[in-house]
Amino acid sequence: MLIAMPDGSRREIAGENIRIEDILKQLGINPEEVIVARNGKIVPEEETAGGSDELKIVRFVHGG
Amino acid sequence: MLSGAEKNRYSRQIRLFGEDGQEKLKETSVFIAGAGGLGSAISIYMAAAGFGKIRICDCDTVDLSNLNRQILHTSADVGRAKAMSAHETLTGINPEIEVEALTETITQENIGELLQGCDLIMDGMDNYPVRYILNRAALGRKIPLFHGAISGYQGQATTIIPGRTACLSCLFPRAPPPSVFPALGATCGIIGSIQVTEAVKYVTGTGQLLENRLLLWDGLSGCLEEIACERNPACPECSGKGDRL
Repeated sequence: MLIAMPDGSRREIAGENIRIEDILKQLGINPEEVIVARNGKIVPEEETAGGSDELKIVRFVHGG
Repeated sequence: MLSGAEKNRYSRQIRLFGEDGQEKLKETSVFIAGAGGLGSAISIYMAAAGFGKIRICDCDTVDLSNLNRQILHTSADVGRAKAMSAHETLTGINPEIEVEALTETITQENIGELLQGCDLIMDGMDNYPVRYILNRAALGRKIPLFHGAISGYQGQATTIIPGRTACLSCLFPRAPPPSVFPALGATCGIIGSIQVTEAVKYVTGTGQLLENRLLLWDGLSGCLEEIACERNPACPECSGKGDRL
């Protein structure tokens, strides 16, 4: 699957039905700081991804 | 009914949504959480647009380091309560509206009282724990929450309509670790303006709202993008399983 990282770079990971939380850990990203879109839609990190899925990892902001 | 002076003041936007739309704005009471960077942009544009009653709440006093972005306040306000400064600025911009400024910390205990009589909530907070209080209150009262947040050149916004869209907890189930965030006034201006645009559209019934769409602004690249979202059936806040006010 293709992954768009928060810094705009791209990574590719092989696998099926991997929990998004585990993908984040594998990439060294703290799940508390990001949200993840799978094929264009934000999904909870309990969901899985794999195959030809495209993930986009977004570092959300908190200031005001 | 709009007075002659009001028809004149709002004539350029009456061209957008008619006197009916302007009267709807006049009849709307808003709660603005925070008189900081986002709260400044939000409240100034809401006052200028003629939202009839603005209740703005902030527990803080003005610090010199706030003035790069918090345009409600001036150098002369340093050390004063932000609510007081906000009241002066907003009534100066538009004396036709009613402004109520409160120096209060927003808590789970007082949110019900703070929101009394308000039709919608504007998120100008700088942390997620209080945003979750606003989210829960919006869900409990079935009133919209216009979310915005910033950090440096980045910002985000979405419109939460209870029962129709993902709630804040669907999107951001956990608060990020606390940190001191960089802040640029112009980013607050962009995101706050988007939030007010959403509120104007909601009240006047014009355009398409940012429902189930998270808007992301990256000022460094000059790019605006959106990501679709939907309600999380397992969300403890809006799925009906959690406690509500």
